[in-house]
Amino acid sequence: MLLLCIACGGGEKPAAPAVKAAAVPDDDRPRDGGTLNRRLDLDVATLNPIPSNSRHERYVTQLIFTPLIHIDRDLRPAPGLATSWEVSDDGLLYTFELNPKATFSDGKPVTARDVLFTLDRILDPASEAVQTAGSFVHLDRSRTRAVGDHTVEIAFRQANPTQLIKFNDVQVLPQHVYSKGNFRRDYNDTALGSGPYRLVRFVRGKEVVVERRQDYWEQKPYIQTVVFKIVQDHGTAFNALRRGDLDETIITSDTWIRESRNPESTKTIHFERFYTLNYNYIGWNNRHPLLRDKRVRRALSMSIPLDAIVNDLYHGTARAMSGPFTPDEWAYNPNVPVIRHDPEGAKKLFAEAGFVDKDGNGILEKDGRPFKVDLIVMQGSVSARQVAQMAQQELRKTGVDLNVVLMDGQAAIDRIMAGNFDAAYLSWELDPDPDPFNVFHSSQVPGVGQNFVYYNNPEADRLLVEARRELDRDKRRDLYWRLHEVMAEDQPYTWLIQVSLKWGVNKRVRGVVASRGFGYFLWSPGERDWWIAPGK
Amino acid sequence: MIVYVIRRLLYAVLTFLGITVATFVLIHSVPGDPITFFLGRAGTTTIPPETLAAIRAEFHLDEPLPRQYLHWVRGAATFDFGISIIDRRPVRERILEKLPNTFQLNFLAFAIAALLGIPIGLWSATRSGRLTERASAVGFFLLYSLPSFWVALLLMQFFSVRYDIFPLLGMTSDDYTELGTAGKLADRLRHLVLPVATMTYAQLAIFARFSKATLTEVIRQDFITAARAKGAGPATVLWHHAFRNALIPMITLLGITVPHLISGSVIVEQIFQWDGVGLLYIQSVLSRDYPTVMGLTVVTAVVTLLASLVADILYAFADPRIRLGERA
Repeated sequence: MLLLCIACGGGEKPAAPAVKAAAVPDDDRPRDGGTLNRRLDLDVATLNPIPSNSRHERYVTQLIFTPLIHIDRDLRPAPGLATSWEVSDDGLLYTFELNPKATFSDGKPVTARDVLFTLDRILDPASEAVQTAGSFVHLDRSRTRAVGDHTVEIAFRQANPTQLIKFNDVQVLPQHVYSKGNFRRDYNDTALGSGPYRLVRFVRGKEVVVERRQDYWEQKPYIQTVVFKIVQDHGTAFNALRRGDLDETIITSDTWIRESRNPESTKTIHFERFYTLNYNYIGWNNRHPLLRDKRVRRALSMSIPLDAIVNDLYHGTARAMSGPFTPDEWAYNPNVPVIRHDPEGAKKLFAEAGFVDKDGNGILEKDGRPFKVDLIVMQGSVSARQVAQMAQQELRKTGVDLNVVLMDGQAAIDRIMAGNFDAAYLSWELDPDPDPFNVFHSSQVPGVGQNFVYYNNPEADRLLVEARRELDRDKRRDLYWRLHEVMAEDQPYTWLIQVSLKWGVNKRVRGVVASRGFGYFLWSPGERDWWIAPGK
Repeated sequence: MIVYVIRRLLYAVLTFLGITVATFVLIHSVPGDPITFFLGRAGTTTIPPETLAAIRAEFHLDEPLPRQYLHWVRGAATFDFGISIIDRRPVRERILEKLPNTFQLNFLAFAIAALLGIPIGLWSATRSGRLTERASAVGFFLLYSLPSFWVALLLMQFFSVRYDIFPLLGMTSDDYTELGTAGKLADRLRHLVLPVATMTYAQLAIFARFSKATLTEVIRQDFITAARAKGAGPATVLWHHAFRNALIPMITLLGITVPHLISGSVIVEQIFQWDGVGLLYIQSVLSRDYPTVMGLTVVTAVVTLLASLVADILYAFADPRIRLGERA
């Protein structure tokens, strides 16, 4: 047996606030109670965590339900409903010990059968668990079972080193509540789980209100009531933050850059920014006759000035990428350099690849075909359009005609996921434990996976397959570091930037800490350690 | 008259069916579908094909388009517009709960704009060409060209952020449920002020200029000169002779405007977080929520057709020539 983690309940978190409070004056000590006004930027479609497919809904369900395991500040697995777990040496069998004290908000105990029920719901196609079902396709249901009330064995047909972290998406449902009626249709407006809060009220288009459970079985959060207010407009949300109608909100880069220097705003608002697991890139269709040659793709990357994008467009609140992993990840190879803006070098590479401007119109040609490429950009994002326009201008200087095509989101996805495009400006949100197999393996072409650029390199394929079979973290790191090198060499994408997420929090809220990669929320303890300072 | 009404009604029904077919074909032929919506939401995760198949089957997306339309018509005939792909609630319920919100907002804006705009237009017509009238024309033109998102933000900054006179967003306060009837009404009205103001100013300009233009047109006609010549006072000429004849274009304008009462304003609803139909429409289109788009199309089409039907019938009352023409 390979012991991944045995966490003793309380070893890691409950002591923390007391330590923090030791050296500070009385009224700076964490206090119980109060109401926190949080923002949701879209209406809630469902409060059922299994079919839910968006982050703002997870903000709410995170407080009402408990996942099998939590993710801690460094994005490592931490105790959730399970206090400890073991993984067999072959990586095929996971044994979770549930916290025997755990109860749902109706007082009934959480049992191994509830975990099995939840897994069954995830596996059932009718549940439409679009975000989680893919993580459990290799689950072996016949060997998955409850051992007594508080132990559950979950078996897989295929070992996967990222499997453990996926149990963070198993927000356990009470079988005695959710087994009645139509699972997909009947549980969108209600929620009953084992989390620290229980649902008080959900008014569509307006708010979701949750209240701290008096009978919560773990360390209770400080804040008594959390009101999630639906505010779709970013400008309105910032005004609401200034007025005190909201206590926290994500802020657009423009507003953040302006207001974080405005003394009137900084008086009451704490401004912070952090990098998450999100990055922006231009995906080149690697099968396209003009883009097939990796020298061409490198030259394209060399034509785009990342420094100018970071400094002029984002005022330094973004950073350049060098490959498929973000700098905060252990898989990120720090020895791979960011490609520098080098128009002269780019021209040489284009020439080497056979592109010359014979007719002297400023656009390169090869075999009589001008270097003209359509770049799909999704409508709605001003900064995406600005980045695309900057790339367009700079590429014009090295002889490439990049035509920016603005498209509605669904239409863009339709084209891209079918592999029917030249180039696209997109972003990825990565998982906390990396496995880019779906995105870059040559078998994962449109219709199967997300390798819509048709990247194909036998060495990368081998590394991707080996890494997802390797259970040893150090060996995985070596494989991914090599993958990072190989892909930086091939440039199937031009990796552009990571834009930091910008947030504003009312200064009356204390204990606010960001994690490495998840920001304020969706990790443990996260907002459960927030508290509200007494009013003056 | 009855034949006229029945004929108009038949046209309306045919037009209605045409609209539903056209919308159905249009929304389905726009690239992207509910599946791309889910693909977009899943990110780097690969959705198992069985899950996608389940979604397709549930909404008949795996069937040919004519069959899908028949499914829809069969439901719609019994006022069942299906369920939303996004939140699985009945489309009818989703629309009906937002319709009153949009109607409230738009009706108030419309009423204020009409009650202020038309008299202003009449006043301008009597002063056509004078300096005050010219100045007011420029003023209304400026008002009309102000972008509403900008005006909304300005109103917010001043009346809500700087001076806490009106609430910033939403339709009700946090403590709404605890208020008495009078308190609830007052609270709702306070929330209505800024969005209504944002919606009114441009419409006000339209009403003022339009009524001025039509009235000026009528005043130039020979029969007005004749009325003046026979010795009628200015008030009698304006009210009795001119205004009545200006009614027909006004009815047209009202007929065009009424459907807007329920179609909602995306910008105002978004900025003030007003839970109305406009936002629902745009979001349903963006996420390719076919059943909701169709449901909203039906509502909009019915109201538009009814409005033009009523306008046509009013014409017939206002102008006997139309009636006679139909009979002949």
